Amino acid sequence: MSDLIRTMALSASGMRAQSARLGHVAENIANADTPGYRRKLVSFEAVAGQGNAGGEVRTGPVRLDRSELPEIFDPANPLSDDRGLYRGSNVDLLVEIADARQAQRSYEANLKMFDQARQMTSSLFELLRR
Amino acid sequence: MFDSLEVFRMAEGLARHAAARQSVVARNIANVNTPGYRQRDIASFAEVYRPAEADAPMRRTRPGHLAAADGLTLPRQQVVAEARAAPNGNSVSLETEIVKSAELRQQHEMALSIYRSALSVLRTSLGRQ
Repeated sequence: MSDLIRTMALSASGMRAQSARLGHVAENIANADTPGYRRKLVSFEAVAGQGNAGGEVRTGPVRLDRSELPEIFDPANPLSDDRGLYRGSNVDLLVEIADARQAQRSYEANLKMFDQARQMTSSLFELLRR
Repeated sequence: MFDSLEVFRMAEGLARHAAARQSVVARNIANVNTPGYRQRDIASFAEVYRPAEADAPMRRTRPGHLAAADGLTLPRQQVVAEARAAPNGNSVSLETEIVKSAELRQQHEMALSIYRSALSVLRTSLGRQ
């Protein structure tokens, strides 16, 4: 039965990581028009353990996307220089939406595993009845 | 008594194997987006289960097996070499893992049903309801 409890812990770590990822995607989308904003990237890593132990996923440090910020032409903007250009953000909405979709799919898969472990545990307890 | 009745030992071993394999599947799914993570699996129940033989001593055929008092040696998780890796090094296929977990659910239910019906046969033979 400790295997089933471990299953729930593993799935909970997966859900936590995917919702953290979704949080960063939401930040990026909210700041898509913020001048000078660099999109945040979060990496996943597996917790190391001996033999069968370990394996939970956790988020690593947040990194900034170092690709070049696009120059946007808008002379009316107070931030624009003498050529009428200012630096926007390097957020691409298509990439962020695709990322959010994948995060949702992974989250639901983890939730399914959690639910299945819970049902297997309660089936075990049913044995005690009658 | 339940240890010496083969049907109870096998049903318990089947349920424990299903739970252990479910834990590996959950680990794979939790790491579906982790770069460099390789899919893992454990040996099937038929490979690891040994029926009780009264005069045969416990053998450890592979160093990865732990010697257990009952018929089930708890298998180590092995990295699946055949799984194809994505460009970021991750070799977990979500569809494969979900199908595997559906099979494990059935395996677990079957083990518990066998256990329950064997228990009721035992109760009937004792004269109780």
